[in-house]
Formats: sequence, C-alpha cells, structure tokens
Amino acid sequence: MTTDILIAEDEPSILEALSFVLQRAGWTVQSVTDGEAVMNAVRRARPRVLVLDVMMPKCSGFEVLKQIRADAAMRDLLVLVLTAKGQQQDRRVAEELGADRFVTKPYSNVEVIETVRELLESRAAVSGP
Amino acid sequence: MRAPIGLRISTRRKALSVSQAALARAVGVSPSYLNLIEANKRQVGGALLQRIAAELGIELDELTGETEHRLMHELVEAFADPALAGSGLRPDKARHLVATSPDVAAAIARLYRAYTAAMTSSDAYADRLRADPLLSQLLHQVLSGITAIRSSAEILDTVPDLGPEDQARFLGSINRETRSLTAVARNLIGQFDQTSSSGSFASARREVDDMIFAVQNHFPDLEEAAAAERTRIEAEGPFGEATMSELLARDHSVTVQRSAEPRGGKAFGYDAATRTLWFRNTVPQSTRQFQMARLIAELHCRAVLDDAPDMRQLVSPLARRGARRYLATYIAGAILFPYERFAADARTLRYDVDALAERYNASFEQISHRLVTLRRPGAAGVPFGFLRADPAGRLSKHFPLPGLLLPSSGHACPLWAIYSAFRTPGEIVRQVAGFPDGSRFLFVAKAVSRRSAGFADHTPPHSVLLIANILHADDTVYGDGLNLSDSRFDVPVGPTCRLCTRTDCASRQEEPWSPGGEDAPATLVEV
Repeated sequence: MTTDILIAEDEPSILEALSFVLQRAGWTVQSVTDGEAVMNAVRRARPRVLVLDVMMPKCSGFEVLKQIRADAAMRDLLVLVLTAKGQQQDRRVAEELGADRFVTKPYSNVEVIETVRELLESRAAVSGP
Repeated sequence: MRAPIGLRISTRRKALSVSQAALARAVGVSPSYLNLIEANKRQVGGALLQRIAAELGIELDELTGETEHRLMHELVEAFADPALAGSGLRPDKARHLVATSPDVAAAIARLYRAYTAAMTSSDAYADRLRADPLLSQLLHQVLSGITAIRSSAEILDTVPDLGPEDQARFLGSINRETRSLTAVARNLIGQFDQTSSSGSFASARREVDDMIFAVQNHFPDLEEAAAAERTRIEAEGPFGEATMSELLARDHSVTVQRSAEPRGGKAFGYDAATRTLWFRNTVPQSTRQFQMARLIAELHCRAVLDDAPDMRQLVSPLARRGARRYLATYIAGAILFPYERFAADARTLRYDVDALAERYNASFEQISHRLVTLRRPGAAGVPFGFLRADPAGRLSKHFPLPGLLLPSSGHACPLWAIYSAFRTPGEIVRQVAGFPDGSRFLFVAKAVSRRSAGFADHTPPHSVLLIANILHADDTVYGDGLNLSDSRFDVPVGPTCRLCTRTDCASRQEEPWSPGGEDAPATLVEV
C-alpha cells in the first residue's frame, strides 16, 4: 500500500490530531518523531508529501530538508514545513532550503488539509495524467 | 557619608604647629567657629574650605578626603554619560559641587546609580526578550501546546461521527496539554521574576563596593577573627589542606570530596544539604585550601560576619548576600596569609606576587587580593589597586587607588595591560601607564586559566591587574630596570574613551566627552 503523507513531528498530541484529520480527509498517513528517522522513512515509504516540523530532536527539520534536496532520489518530494508563529527567520531558512509550502503553528486543521490538497493538485497539474 | 574634614584640618594644623587662633585669623573666622569646624559640628565648604586648604598648604582633595574624592569621580562619570551630553557640566563643576554641596552631589550620584541600574535592567530585559534561549524554548512549548489543543478541539467540535474511543483520546490530549501549558506559564513567570532580580545586581554590587571603600578595604574585626581561626587550625596540626579537612569533618561535620563530578558547570562548590565541600580533580591545591578556609569562616565566624558594622547599612538583601560572601572571602585570605607575616614577607620579597604565591602555595589572584588589604594603620604596605577582566573585556572585582578612576562597570581603556596580558597568558605584563592628566601608575597584569579537564572543557583565562602609584613603584620588584622618573616611554592610556581627552589615539572607540561642546556621535567606529 502506498503512503500519501509522511508526518515528521515530535509532539505526540499534535501528531495524533494531525494524523487523524489527514486520514479522515482520505489520505494514507505514516509518521516519525525525530529527524534522524525521516530519511529512512522517506526512502522506504516514498510518500507524496512530507509534513515536516522544523523543531525536532536529534536532527532538525532544516537539516532533513537540506539532505532531501541534496539527494537525487528524493529531490522532488513535496515538503510542507510547519513553523511557529513569529519565527520569521525559520521561515526564511526553510524557503532557502527549498520548502514548497508553509503552515504556521498554531494552525487550524482545515489549513493543513487545504495546503496538502493544493500541493498534490499542483503536482498532478505539472506532471499531467 | 561625610568624612571627618574637621579632624583632618586639626591634624594637619597640629602637624604644622599652627595654633587654632592663628589659623582662624588667617582664614578670617573666629577661633570658636574654627573649633566647631574641627569638632565636625559645623559643615565647611566652598571658599572657606579653599582658604583653609591654601593656608595649610594642601590640596583641597586631600582635605575633603577619599569619600568626597570617590563621590567626585562618580559625578564626573555621570557628567560624561551621553544622557547628559551637551549640558556643559565640567569636571571642575563636580569638584565644586562636592566641596560646596556634598548632599546635593551625593543625591546626584545616587540618582545616577539608580539610572545606570535601571538601564542595566532594561538591557537585561531586552536581551532576554530578544535572544534568550530559555525564553524561546518556553515560547516553543506554548505554541506546541496551543497547536495540539486547537487541533484536537477542532476535531471534537467538527467531526460528528467521532467514536467514543477517539473522543476520549482527544479529550485526554487536551487535558494533558493544558496541564503542561500551566507548568510552562509558571516557568515563564518565574523567568521574569528572575530577570528583575538580576537587574538589581549592578546596584547591589556598588553598595558592597561602597562598604569596602568606606573602610579602605581593611576590616580589623575580620583580621582578628581570621587570626583566631588560624590558631584554631594550627592547634590541630600543621597548617594546610589536611588539617583544615580534619577540622571541617570533626567540628562541622563537613565531608571534603576531592574528585567529584562537575555540577552545573562549576569546578567546586558546597552542598549545604549533604554538608559536602566538593572539588573536581582539576581544582588546584591553592583553590582547595582557599575554599576550605572560606567555608570555615562561613561556618565558624557567623557572628563576626553578621555584626560587621557596615553590613547593617546595606539596603538590599542581594547586597547583603554579596557582602557576606566578600567578607567570608576576606577572612579566608586573612587565614591563609596572616597579616604581620604576610606583610613582612611582601616587603622582603618586594611585592613579587609570584614569589609570594610560591611561598604561600597560593594563586596569583589570591595574593594580589591580599596585597590590596594590607592597609592596617601603622603597618600598611604599598597601596595597590586591583581589577579583574574576562576575555570579553568586562571588568569585575575592582578596587581603586586614590587619584585613579577605575570604571565601575563595562570596559576600561583597551591599552591597559589588563588586556594585553591576554596575549601572553601566564606571563607577567608590566606597563608604566601615563594618563592625560599627567598621573602615572605602574600596571602589573597576568592572565590566568584554570586547569582544563579535557578537550571539550573550555577554560577561558581571566586577567588580574595590580596597580601601584608610580611613586611606590620602586618599592616593588616590578619597578626594577625601569627608569621610573622618565615619563617619555610611558604608555599613553586613558580611563575610558569617554573620559579620555587624548585626540591622537588610534584605539579610540567612542567620542570624548566634551563638556559644553556639541553632542558627539555615540561611536566613531566606521562600519
């Protein structure tokens, strides 16, 4: 079975709610809780979208993003970065490193669902049927 | 606050064998009025004081005394502050004000202190808000908590067919996050409380400084207490670490632990709960000895510490704690380096700090500190000033000398030996420093590091500076080989850039304060 979305988020309560709403929106979801595990999970599950929290233990979301964009096999993965409100600098860094979209915490569930949907649609439009 | 000017007038007069009546006639007052002045029952200042000083052939400063001198320096520092730029207040105005209206001068100085303390505390707040890692971590926790709660609450609110298990799961989640947010909020409030107390640190330190200056850094009571402690230790066995360790164990139930794990980044400390004095393996014997003596002072000289006459004048609890620490350290110094013997050795070795350090198995800083306290009337050593700096240039632990203005906080002149010593850690750097006003001092500095406990252990050095008036330099080993009377090779330094009048200095970082002149830009450094 393919995975639509991989969530990388270390806060269990956020992860729980996020997986629930994304699954309910009709996607298959997997999750990891630290930066080191992300790369392996991406290689194994080959998700269509990565929802990436930038503040994670072991290896920060920024480092994960940098490695993904440097890896030929993963370079085109769609990445939605979760940043915190007020952390403009985080957002700039993520932009430079090649994040596709941002959602700012604290978000409304609808925002995340919509953004993921837009991302998937944009990819579908580019690659075509 | 007022120094006994009257006493100084009568002392000087008697030294010159001038009768009270003759002096009164010469300065144009009645003998009975002069009598009141000499008994400190009448204030004296202004023109009359100047006439008395002239008649007695001494400087007004000498007559007004050190308290006034220090007050004057403080006013000069205040007048030089950019906040007063353009007000046209000159140093002679400070002198005049201190001589004529000491109460007004003291009020201005107090106000300036309060102002600098307020500035320091607002800087502390700004720093904390801007860059404090703890605060941003707490903020991150707040945002995470709110994100989880909002997201879970939305699910509960908008998903009509939510099963009872999921319902319980998200309610549990909200509950959990709310509790952790409560803890974060408490922590956050605690942070701000802490900030406010760290802001008053600067003014508390100055309070302690004042107390020390007031007695010229010599405390007879503490010397006496230290001598008694020394006798008590020597009754146990030969003076040293082993005997003090035994004494601590027997009389105070304190265990000394020699190779403890580091705690909170510190190399040594006292845990009052377990009554353990612990040291890392890297702590040298000199420090261990000193800390043992200090603990003995703290545990056994409580009464002396509490009753120190000047302790009760300290306003803030922070200052009282600081003063207590300082006084316990003072006693420790006096236990390890008993006054008479140390003063005699210092004279014999001509104040060679390293030689004294070797003889007493002590550190450069401990010896320097003790030298500053050799001020017993009738048995005083060479007067020394003392200053310590960290590698960022920040000053701490300062004790000034008459006639030399040491900045009370922040940075000194970058040309001072205290900074050049960092280039050759472990080596003595000496310097004849010439000030713009013509005064000259011998600076002796050394940068010292603590011992490293491994590659990852950072041990930045700090630099210790001893200062002697050039007139006393030939009493010290550090004056040897220097042509002390020839000022041509003095290093031209200043107090701080702001208070320095040199126009030809390549090291200037800030515009000089030009009384009455136009407002100068805050900095000359071109970016």
